[in-house]
Amino acid sequence: MKIMRMFKALPMIWAVFAVMLAAPLPAMAKVDGDTIIFGAAVSFTGKYSTNGKHTKNGYDLAVERINANGGVTVDGKSYQIAIQYYDDESTPARAAQLAEKLIQQDGIQFVLGPYGSGLTKAIAPVTEKYKIPMVEGNGASRSLFNKGYKYLFAVLSTSEQYLAEAINLAAEQAKKDGRDPSSVTVAIAVENDPFSQDIRAGVVDDANKWGMKIVIDDKLPKELNDMTATLTKVKALKPDVLVVSGHSKGAVLVVRQINEMRVNVPMLAITHCEAADVIGKFAEGAEHTLCATQWTETMSYQDDDFGTAMDYYNDFNSIYGYYPPYQAAESTASVQVFVDAIERAGSFDTEAIRSALAATDLMTFYGPVKFTEAGNNMAKPMVLRQIRDGKYVAVAPSRFASEPVVYPRPDL
Amino acid sequence: MIHRYIKWGVLIVLALGAPVLMPAIKTQLAMLMLMITFALTWDIMGGQMGYNSFGNIVFFGVGMYVTAVIQRDMFFTAEEYETMAGALGAIDGTDYLTGLVIGLAASIVVCVVLAAILGAGILKLRGHYFAICTLGLGIAAAEIAGGIDYIGAGSGLVTPTFPNEYLGDRGYFFYYYFLVLAVVAFLVLSWLYRGQFGLAINAIRDDEDKAEAMGIHTTRYKTMAWCISAFFLALAGGAMGNLVGFIDPSEVAFAGATYGVWMVLMAILGGKGTIWGPVIGAAVFHIMQELFWTYLFGWQRVALGALIIAIVVFFPEGIMGFVRARWPELLGHKVDHQTPESRIVP
Repeated sequence: MKIMRMFKALPMIWAVFAVMLAAPLPAMAKVDGDTIIFGAAVSFTGKYSTNGKHTKNGYDLAVERINANGGVTVDGKSYQIAIQYYDDESTPARAAQLAEKLIQQDGIQFVLGPYGSGLTKAIAPVTEKYKIPMVEGNGASRSLFNKGYKYLFAVLSTSEQYLAEAINLAAEQAKKDGRDPSSVTVAIAVENDPFSQDIRAGVVDDANKWGMKIVIDDKLPKELNDMTATLTKVKALKPDVLVVSGHSKGAVLVVRQINEMRVNVPMLAITHCEAADVIGKFAEGAEHTLCATQWTETMSYQDDDFGTAMDYYNDFNSIYGYYPPYQAAESTASVQVFVDAIERAGSFDTEAIRSALAATDLMTFYGPVKFTEAGNNMAKPMVLRQIRDGKYVAVAPSRFASEPVVYPRPDL
Repeated sequence: MIHRYIKWGVLIVLALGAPVLMPAIKTQLAMLMLMITFALTWDIMGGQMGYNSFGNIVFFGVGMYVTAVIQRDMFFTAEEYETMAGALGAIDGTDYLTGLVIGLAASIVVCVVLAAILGAGILKLRGHYFAICTLGLGIAAAEIAGGIDYIGAGSGLVTPTFPNEYLGDRGYFFYYYFLVLAVVAFLVLSWLYRGQFGLAINAIRDDEDKAEAMGIHTTRYKTMAWCISAFFLALAGGAMGNLVGFIDPSEVAFAGATYGVWMVLMAILGGKGTIWGPVIGAAVFHIMQELFWTYLFGWQRVALGALIIAIVVFFPEGIMGFVRARWPELLGHKVDHQTPESRIVP
């Protein structure tokens, strides 16, 4: 009897659910009047929130600039662009759900990537399933590009390239000192997530190529707040190279603890220096760290929307009050690439846009963009910079190097 | 009598027709059914038996991994699979379903056996000790899964791509799957609660020592209760892996901080220890959460936090508890409205 009575409540709940969830449905569509709407699930909260903010600011700046420059012209008609955002809270389950929501509920036909490889990995199967093109600038894991995805395009260099250059640099230095590169010892400590594990794979490949010995190979937990265990081993084993990757949290953590524990290692190569602002946080303590970067403002790239890389750098700062890390730049470039493809396709047909994306050959302030069959951008190299006197100095690869690397790192 | 059939009919039509009426939100509706299953299965231990478990997520995650690995290994070698993105477009409907069914069956076996083994070990603990121990289980499971390369370790595992062209729309498929799962869980649990099992676990909740003294094999019932949770969570996890498409050890499979906590919250919100409480709690929680995400963008977590505080402060007994206290007639309790004086029969 009790159960029967409760049925009264249930249809009511269904009705509320239906009305309120379905309500925002018609408000958004892929092209609303003269506005093209892109969709993005970005981390506003959670552990990737710092980089999520860089991603969003990068997208927003692109939208603002492209609209100011007359918008997008499709089939003779000019359109403005806008982005529908959701917060994926840095969790893949949520990201996949939101991608469904963007496509199914909001009718979004053009998806911009989230921050990070794990989240991109969660969204890519969804966009692929609905055959919706996604251009992303923050999912670097190479495992995204060996899966035969047809609708995924990434403007950035894949993650195994991030720190591989550091290994080559160490080999060169060893030769210079009259040592055999195979005598170089490498310590690796990377977070246990798709992106950082790929960094590791790239480093291991290059170390093996030189016959170097990997003396420490640690996985760091995702709740990254201590790596003294690894650093104690580093102190004892004295490797020539220490490679650390764990997004912004990892960058801050290693620089802080290496100073606290006075760990002396000839070469410290890490990722996410700029995004984590290690110079601002540690000043002296961050000196001589090698940082992998997708893009630097000193590069000679330019385009019509933003001018030179340096112009972008300064414009971004004047709007958002901080200098853009590469995460912001590659996000901006993603929008540019998407818009370029839509213009070349001359229609809003997703298949036509996908084909146009595949045929992209674009120069941006962020660098050249040209996609491989797999959808990653092989036209743009990674750069390795060293922190010197509170500034980033490009040291590798040699064609971008403004100064030779300081090696070994002076003792702390 | 007819009235009663109409109510059932309306409910069945609504449940079956919901995704057709609202195709845009069918994945959300599938999630709603999953949430109901979460709350119902948590309530077996947490509500009916008085054992607050934070470790049920373990069975969800194990089910997810077992199913996905079997789906992967039945038709592909690891390298093939890795380069084909969950065999994008290469898997046909029969293979997919075969893999899924065998995977789910295997995950049931693994999870139930795991629950029996774990239960035998830790169900001797009581109260807070049990809660903390299960919390540790969930965290440990995520760490362990993150270290096993065979299942993708920290890089995660992509589940086979749903073959839309053979099986129709994935959203419908999983909605009806989760609907059946939630309904079966509901019916099985209400049947169990009506019988000896229900009485035994209620006795354990009310006074375990006394129950034992009365001759109830408490450990056996406790383990059974956990095995039943594990059974349904294995089925939920296995399908959820396929719905999300990407299994991350700590954030999709063993997602203690989200699903693990939500299942407790939903049961408490609805009213733990009742059969409809978890259902209502899950529906209200899931709807509120989706609404916050849509309408209170940027503040959704704050709003959710406020909701949780409001639940605890104003509805300590849950919605069902509140309704029971306020309108007992609605739940079929007989209330004597006569004044004490008038009850005196002359």
